[in-house]
This record gives sequence, structure tokens and C-alpha cells, in this order.
Amino acid sequence: MLGMQDLWISAAWLLSIGSAVGCVIYGAFHWHYENEEE
Amino acid sequence: MNIPILSAVVIIFLGIMTGLMYLGSRKTKTDSDFLVAGRSMHPWVMALSYGAAFISTSAIVGFGGAAGLFGFSLLWLTVLTIVVGIFIAFALFGPRIRRMSCNLGSETFPSFLGARYQSSALTAYAGLLIFLLMPAYTGAILIGGGRFLHDALGIPYTTGLLLFAVIIAVYVMRGGLRGVMYTDAFFAVVMLLGMATLLFATYRAVGGVVPGHSGLSAIGNLVPAALIEQGHRGWTAMPAFGSRIWWTVISTMVLGVGIGVLAQPQLTMRFMTIKQPRSLYQAILVGGIFIFFMTGTAFIVGPLSNLYFYQTQGKIAIQVAEGNIDRIIPIFVTQIMPEWFLYFFMLTLLSAAISTLSSLIHVQGTAFARDLVENLGINKLLPGASTRFWAKLGILFSIISAVTLAFILPPGIIARATAFWFGICAAAFLPTLVAALYWPAATKAGALASTITGSIVSGFGYIFLQEQGAVAVGLVSRLLGRTTLLPFPWTHIEPLIYALPAATIVLVAVSLLTQRPMAKHLEDTFKKVA
Repeated sequence: MLGMQDLWISAAWLLSIGSAVGCVIYGAFHWHYENEEE
Repeated sequence: MNIPILSAVVIIFLGIMTGLMYLGSRKTKTDSDFLVAGRSMHPWVMALSYGAAFISTSAIVGFGGAAGLFGFSLLWLTVLTIVVGIFIAFALFGPRIRRMSCNLGSETFPSFLGARYQSSALTAYAGLLIFLLMPAYTGAILIGGGRFLHDALGIPYTTGLLLFAVIIAVYVMRGGLRGVMYTDAFFAVVMLLGMATLLFATYRAVGGVVPGHSGLSAIGNLVPAALIEQGHRGWTAMPAFGSRIWWTVISTMVLGVGIGVLAQPQLTMRFMTIKQPRSLYQAILVGGIFIFFMTGTAFIVGPLSNLYFYQTQGKIAIQVAEGNIDRIIPIFVTQIMPEWFLYFFMLTLLSAAISTLSSLIHVQGTAFARDLVENLGINKLLPGASTRFWAKLGILFSIISAVTLAFILPPGIIARATAFWFGICAAAFLPTLVAALYWPAATKAGALASTITGSIVSGFGYIFLQEQGAVAVGLVSRLLGRTTLLPFPWTHIEPLIYALPAATIVLVAVSLLTQRPMAKHLEDTFKKVA
């Protein structure tokens, strides 16, 4: 998968990007929420 | 590289750094400003400063080079640094550290632990660990900086190292934590631009994402026989389970650094600088992006350099670097990027070195002032001296010991010293810190016993069991005539793997057997903590 020999490596590659995107969504949600409150 | 252009770029860079330091020093009027930036930092500046302090040249060049040798398996460290080092640290640890340190009036990491457990002995022990052992990590980063100035600017190694030390000591003393964090934020932006550009350029150079990975999978047969014997199964596969390389990658690099990040004094104390505890949640946005482009880029570019070198020179990365993994990333960048980017990449590495060094030096100075001198009553010898005076004296001591160690430590020590410091911190501080934040029944005796157990067990592991540490110290070979006390796999297991559970068990067992803290103290400590 994704050109990797090993599914564990494909998972690590996807999780690296996925966790960064997750941080962006989570942080943006709180940023928006705090701005709304103010 | 053109030295006049390079010198001009560095002078402009140092000019911006000096301006930001001056801005920080103008706003530093009280001890609280010097120690915790007046607890008024913007969450985004804090997140950038946290990231820049975490990522040193060792992470980019040292660990990136290790990924060039071992392959994509290091991407699990990227996952851990984002999930643990950013999300868990900012969402679960940060808000409580900020709120509780304010309730307790603590302005350093050791004094926070000591106040939470009502133990000045714990403050002194943690302060002593920082003041005595952190210079080894600082010295290693300094070596990286000195070498880098030598390679990039042609400055003699000794001159470069001393120049680095003097610049950092002066600007930390003048700017305090405000100056450090303002400059960190600038450095972080430089690092982010440099590493993001490198990631996209690398995938372009190898023909795209999936073609690049497939091409690297196809040349798996080029892995040297010596590495295959140790468990290497190609750059796009995990090492063989339980092999020497598997233990090195998983225990030392992935778990050692990925868990160790949670208990780094220079990182956790940054949570104390924020204005509002809840604003840490939005800082996760900046932290997640930053850490992905730092560790993700280093651990993707390293392995893919093998494919590029094979396509252009018929060799793999470790052969091009003539066996020195620290040279893989610099050589690769020089070959695939245009000349203008090389100047920028040099600033990226300079930013990574200065931001980490300044944070370490600041923490050592404040540990000396607050946790040793004032905590032990030594400040009564000079009644008129402020905390800032003692902190500056501590900064001077720590920079001198780091420079001394930089001249004593053997070459190739950078990544090892990083893992050593992260491992010691995790074993000594992590159980005590987690219990401080989430387990009110944890006691003074439990915390002190756990911190001492964690540091002694991991110290024992580094000196007697783990091969790299035991060989460097040389005590076992002098006493027993062999390299380590026990055979494989103990030789390749990071001491954190057994020291952290030992420290946790001791904390729980001793806390259950000793008297619970006073209800009034716990009420004050956990006031307004959700």
C-alpha cells in the first residue's frame, strides 16, 4: 500500500499526516469557539 | 557557497534575532518576566517556541540521517511526537500545569513538583538533576552547532563553538524567557519554511509520493549484508521483530524520544507562560503543523535519499556519506536543492540549534536560582541579590560546563546524548508529573522515591547494560573485561523501557503506604482545575 513493502510503514505514513490534520481541525475548532465567545 | 553572500545573510539573521531579544529585554522588568515571561504569552508564540525548543539540529540532521540508514520505521516517532508531544501535552498536561503552577506560585518545573508535593527535597533533587545532567545534552547540541558553523561558514570548530556559546549566553541573560520565546517564534517560522520546502522538493526529485515509495521498495536488495544480519528488511519495511535494529529504532528512538518529550523541563515549563489555560487548545493547531514538518520531513527525506543517490550515483545514502549518518541530510540537500535554498537551509539548522540551546540554558539558570540557591537558603549569603542575579550566574555556570563537556565528549555523541537526556527525564519525572496533575492521593514520599528510582535505574542502565552507553563509559570493561553486564537484548534496550515502569510502581506503592497530603493543600492546588 502506498508503494511501501510493509503495512506497518503505510500506517505510520498515513497516521503522521492524519494526526497533523487532526491537530489542525481540533485547534481550529477551539480557535473559532474562543473567538465566538469573545 | 559564496562566503560574502552567506555572511550577509547570517548578519541579517543575527540582526533580527538581536532586535527580538531587545524587545524581550525591554518587557522584562520582574523576576516573573525573566522566569515565565510574565505568564502573558500568546498561545501561538508559545506553540512555536515549544516546537523550536524541542527540535534541535540533532532531530533534523542526526535522526534524519538515522532514518536514511534504518528507513521509514522512524515515522512512528513522528506519530508519537504529534500525538504525545503535541496533542496529549497541550490538551491534557498543559492546562493543568498552567492552572496549578499559578495556584502554587511556582515558576520553574522543579519548584512546581516540589510545591505540589510539599517537598523542598524533591525541588532540590530535580533542580540538581537538571543542573548536573542537562549540560551533557546542551554540550552535544553545542557540538552540532560548532561543527555546523565550521562546515557552512568555514569558521574554525573551536572558535565557532565558543562564538555560539557567547551569543546564546548574552541573549538569554539579557532577554530572559520573553526574549527567548520571541526569537524562538522567529526561528520556528524559518525552520517551518525550510523543512516544508525540502519535503515537497524531495518528493518531486523521486517522481512523486507512490512512485518514490515504490522505487525505494524496489532497491531493498541494496541493503548491506551487515545491516540485514541486524534485522534490516528494506527502507520501506519494519525491521525484523526483536532484532538489534528493531530495539534501537523502537526503544531508543521512537519510545525514548516520543515518551521522553512529555517530561522535558524546558518544554513543560512553557505551559506556565500562557495567558489563559484554555487557549492551549488552539495552540495544538500550530504545534501539530510544526512538528509534522520537522520530524515528518526528516524521517521521509532520509529514507528517500537512498533512491535519489542510487538513481544519480548508483550508491545508497550511507555509502555516499562514507559511513557517517550525520552527513546524509546535508549532502542530499546540497545535491537536490538550488543554491539560494542552501543559504536558507543553513539558517534552518542555525535556528534549530540556537532555539534549543537558549531554552536549555534558560532552564538551567532558573533551576540554579530558584530550585537550588533560594530553595536551599544559599541566597542568604548575598541578601541584596535578586532571583535574576542568581539566574544569570546559573546561566554562566551552565554555559561554561556545556562548553567544557563539548570539548570532552567523543564525536558521534549528538543523537546518543539526546536519547540519554530524554530517557533520564522520562524515567525520573514522568510518573511524578502525571501523578501531580491527575492523582491527588500521590504523596511526598512516593514522588521523591519515584524520582530517585527512575534516575538511578536509568543511570544504571546507561552505565552497565546498554551497549552504547556502557562502551562510552567503559566501567564494565574495566571491572569485568567485557562490554556490558548482560547479553543481548539488554544491550539494545533503552533503559527507559524498564526504568519508567520501576519508577511508576515505586510511586504507587509508596504513596499507598504513606500519609495522604492534607485536604486543604489539595484543595488549594486543584482550585479551578476541571
